[in-house]
Order: sequence, then C-alpha cells, then structure tokens
Amino acid sequence: MGISRFVLLVFTISMLASPALSDLVLSKVDRRIYLTSHIVRISSTLEVENAGPETVSKVLLAFPDLQAQNLAYLMASPHEAKAKVKGLTVGASFTFDVLAVFTQALRPMPEQIGQADIQLVLYQDSAYYLSPYVVKVQSLSLKVPDSRIESYTTLQSTKVQGSEIKYGPYENLPAFSSSPITVHFENNLPFAIAQELVREIEISHWGNVLVTEHYKLIHGGAQSKGEFSRLEPQARENVQGPSAVRYLVAHLPPRAHSVYYRDAIGNISTSHLRGDSKKTELLIEPRYPMFGGWRTAFTIGYGLPLQDCLYESEGRRFLNITFSSPMIELVIDTLIVKVVLPEGSSDISVAAPFFMKQWQETKISHLDIVGRAVVVLEKTNLVPEHNQYFQVYYKFNRLSMLREPLMLISGIFFFFVACIVYMHADTSISKFSASYLAKQQWEEVRVAIQQVHNIICRCLATHDKLEASLRDLSRTGEVQACKAARKSTDGLLKELSKELKPLMTFLQSSPSAVQVLSKVEELVAKEKELLEKLMAKHSTAVEAYEKKSGARDIENRIALQQQKITALRQEVDDLLEFIDEI
Amino acid sequence: MAPPAKAITSPVPDAWYPTLAVFMLAIGLVLTASFFIYEATSSKRNRSLAKELTTGGVASVFLGFGSLFLLLSAGVYV
Repeated sequence: MGISRFVLLVFTISMLASPALSDLVLSKVDRRIYLTSHIVRISSTLEVENAGPETVSKVLLAFPDLQAQNLAYLMASPHEAKAKVKGLTVGASFTFDVLAVFTQALRPMPEQIGQADIQLVLYQDSAYYLSPYVVKVQSLSLKVPDSRIESYTTLQSTKVQGSEIKYGPYENLPAFSSSPITVHFENNLPFAIAQELVREIEISHWGNVLVTEHYKLIHGGAQSKGEFSRLEPQARENVQGPSAVRYLVAHLPPRAHSVYYRDAIGNISTSHLRGDSKKTELLIEPRYPMFGGWRTAFTIGYGLPLQDCLYESEGRRFLNITFSSPMIELVIDTLIVKVVLPEGSSDISVAAPFFMKQWQETKISHLDIVGRAVVVLEKTNLVPEHNQYFQVYYKFNRLSMLREPLMLISGIFFFFVACIVYMHADTSISKFSASYLAKQQWEEVRVAIQQVHNIICRCLATHDKLEASLRDLSRTGEVQACKAARKSTDGLLKELSKELKPLMTFLQSSPSAVQVLSKVEELVAKEKELLEKLMAKHSTAVEAYEKKSGARDIENRIALQQQKITALRQEVDDLLEFIDEI
Repeated sequence: MAPPAKAITSPVPDAWYPTLAVFMLAIGLVLTASFFIYEATSSKRNRSLAKELTTGGVASVFLGFGSLFLLLSAGVYV
C-alpha cells in the first residue's frame, strides 16, 4: 500500500515536472507476465539511457492505479550481478530487472461455476509499458498455464506460441502511452488464500524452537454454485472439480521434527512428510476438497533444533528464521507473527527486511512466574516472495535458565517440609486423656529398650574382642597380651552393666512395658550366662598355654565349653532381633 | 563486518535427556524413601531436624532436575 501511494504521488509530481524527467530514455523494455498461478508476476528488464545534460540518480517506475492497489511485492535489482552504479552519467546506460508481484489481479469470469466446470479467469493490462519516459523498443509476453486460451485482444503484432502470447516489438512510443489488452484463459491452479495466519514461534533454550501456524483458508477463485455432491469427485477424481483445492504443499526447514496437522475436531491424517537435506516437504489434504468460496481452518506445528535458528554475537542472542508461511503459492491477507522469548529476556529488538507493524505482549507458558515477552509483528497482503529471514535480538543471562528447575525443586521441597511439619506437630486435643498418656509412656519404654539393645550389642562386641585375643594367643602364644586384653574387657563390661542397671529398673517400674519386660530380662540373663561361659573358657585356655600343654589338648578342653557358648550366642542373637522389631 | 555468529545449543546435549531423567529420578526416589523411613522409625526424642531437612533438600534437588529432564525428553520443551 505504501509503495502504491508513493508511486501515485510521484506520478503527479512527474506530470508537473515533465521537462526534467524527459532526460532519461528507456532504450529497451522486455516485459514478461507470468499468469501461471493465481499470483501474477511481472518481470521487466529495463535498459535506461541518460540522454540529458546532467547525471541522474533516480529512475521512476509507474504503475496504473488499478494495478497498484494489488501490488504486494516490488523489487528492483541490477541485471548483471556485479554492476553497481552511483549515478548515471551523461550518455551511459544501465540495465536492471524489476519484479512486481500482484495479488487478486486475476478476475474469475464467469464468477460462479458449477462443481464440474473449469475455471476461467480474466486478466487486464496494457500492451504498451506505462512509463514517464520515452520508450524506444519494447516487447511483452504473457505466459498462461498449459490450457486453452479462451480469447485475447489482438493488436498489430500479436502472436501465440504454445502457451505464450507475444505482443510487440513496439518502437518509439511516447511517455504514458497505453493500450489496454484483455486475456481470458483457463486457470485451474489452486487459488488458496489465507485470510488470517497466526504464526507463533516459541524459543526454548533447552534445545527446541516450536513453530505453530493457525490457518484460515478460503478458495479465492470462481464461486461455487449449485449443489455439491461428494460422489462425483470421488468417482472420477481428476475430471470433476478441476479448480478445487485438493492439497497444499509446504516446504519446512530441514531437520524439522514432531510435525503435526490438526484442526478443531482433532488430528487430520491425510498428510505426507518427506525430508531431505535442503528442506522437509509436507503435503496436506484438507478434510474436504475446497471449491470456490469455501473455507477451512487448521493448525500446523513443527519443531526445529535450536542450533539452526538461534545464534549469539556481541553479547546478544538473536533468532534467525523465515518470516512468512512455508506454503508454496499461498497469498496471505493478514499475517501475525508472534515470537515468544524465554522468561528473563530483555533488550528486545527486531531487524526485518521490510516494514511491519510491531508491538510487545506477555504470554504465560510452562513453568513461568511473570510470563514470557512476546514480540508481535503484523503485515498485510503477503506473497511467497515475502518469506525472507528476519532477526529478533535479545539479551539473556545464562543463569536465568536455572529458573525452571528451581521452581520444580522448590515445589517438591515444600512438600517435604509439609511432611516434616506434620510429623512434628502435636495434634492431640487433650494432653491428659488416657490414650495420649499411654502413648507417651510407650514411647519412653521404646526408647529404653533401644538403649538396652545398644548396650547388649556393645557387650557382644567386647565378647568378640575376647575371642579375638584367644585366637591371637593360639597364633602367637603370647600370654601377657591375652591377659591384658582380659583386663580391659573386664573394665568395659563393668561399665556397661552399670549403664544397664537404671534402664532395667525403669522398665520394671513402668506399667506399659509388661509385655516386653519378660523378653528383656531373659535377654539380659542369657547375656550374663554367655559372659560367664566365655570367661571360663578364656581362663582355661590361658592356663593351658601357661602350662605349655599340646595344642590338641587345649582344643579338647575348650570343645565342650565352646559348644555351649555358640548355642547361647545364637539364642542371644534371636532375642536381640525380636527386641529390635518392637 | 560483524563477528561471525556462534550457534547456541542447550547446555546439556539433547541425547542425554532420557538417561539423565531416569538416573536423577531414581536417586531422588531412593532419597525420598530414606527420608520417609527415617520419619517412620525414629521416635520423637531421637529425631534430628537437621537430618530431616538435609535429606528432604537433597531428595528434592534430584527429583526436581529429574522431572525437568523427564519433561524435556517427553517433548515438552519448557
């Protein structure tokens, strides 16, 4: 829109300032109009020559008003790749290419067709190139799809070659000359127009860029009239409804994964995905073939690996991704692109190859506290040529990535703290009720029993030490060391029995310990017996060594005592286990 | 001429996500089990708040990271 207004303004200025503009002369104009899709592309090669007295730095391009309304994309580039001219000097000439893309320039005629009819469209243009300069030589060729041409305007030098209509060459035409022509031809290529496309790009620094596209499509060709029958297209597929939109092709970036295609009802399974190293091709079929004027809405989503899209330079990160839809030959009326940046991003700016409306929003997504910053870009009237790369710059601190696991950790830790609080809390209503008091006493008994258990274990440890000293004796024959060990163990055992006494008195006095008291007393008694036997064995062994009697002799004397000792030990262990389980 | 841009990848390689999830969750669950065993077997007097809090804290760290990697390996890129 902006371009057309500018062109109209220039148009009026040019009318007033025509003497200055007639300095330039277009020596050769070649126009090629491609009508092979519902998007009209005009590719012109202009050779401009400076016939005036001064150096000129601007060339004006004019478009008729009606055409300018539909202008979606305009680009001019030098014809030879390396040519760079600062200003066109007197007498020099320069060649450049202009590509203009128009939407809705083809008018369906007849405007309403039945289900089985072919679609005919009308295109109007001028055979002479509309220009503020004099054109020396010009030619025009129109390319239509390989189908029949219903009619076309015949002028002086017109010829048809296969699917191309050629007008010209015309020579020495004055400025602003035009001669209207009309071409009426068959165009059955899918007229898919997306009335609204919302494209959401969500960046996750954990390794994925998720793109979700919500389409609202309409068939923009000849409206469908009359009844619709499902049987006919299915019976003879390629004959019926040739202009219906049966499928759409999208070229996704390479290494796209997790592609899904669904609408409000659910998943749509009529789709095919094929990937290679340059692109991933997705072919989708809507739930029904779209005839003229019909609409459909669906969602496509896919994920891209992070290293393909996100880069870092000069302390800022930026996302480099294509702007428009990946579908081929799709006209978009309104495109809204939302780039969702991770939480904690700041200093956001957008670098785009063309103008678009921008603003910022917030979105709350997984594991968010304050929400993510969203950059929203809006543009109208887009064609596939607009699918260029754009960049979104932002600053992000690496430590902000820990925000997400920290949220999970704090949630789980809160649960553990709740458990601790529950265990520590005293929820009894009355502190003097019988059951509460009974529970308290039982707790104390349990503690006492555990302490008894501890002491008995330590006693058994000293027994083991004694046994070890005996084994040492049999190995080395040193009696003095053995006697010293005996003395130390005697001391330890005395201490342990001292500790045991108050516990035993407490257990005997408390009423709730009645059941276990018998077992505990049995344990203590058995342990005492074991100790006595062990001591006896120890003394016999030491005596025997002092007397220096033979090894076998010693063995025999100890054997009986040993048997009793092992039996007792077993019983003590069993009792200990039982007490442990209380 | 701007310096060449470096591609950014995730701090943990993608291929490790499922393995890390399983191991971290296993360790976290073992620590949770030990926490609850301690709660159940200790009597009021023997209980130590410091031991409870440390066991709970370490268990929650492992469970938190384990569930994060579980979400990432399932495709929910948080």
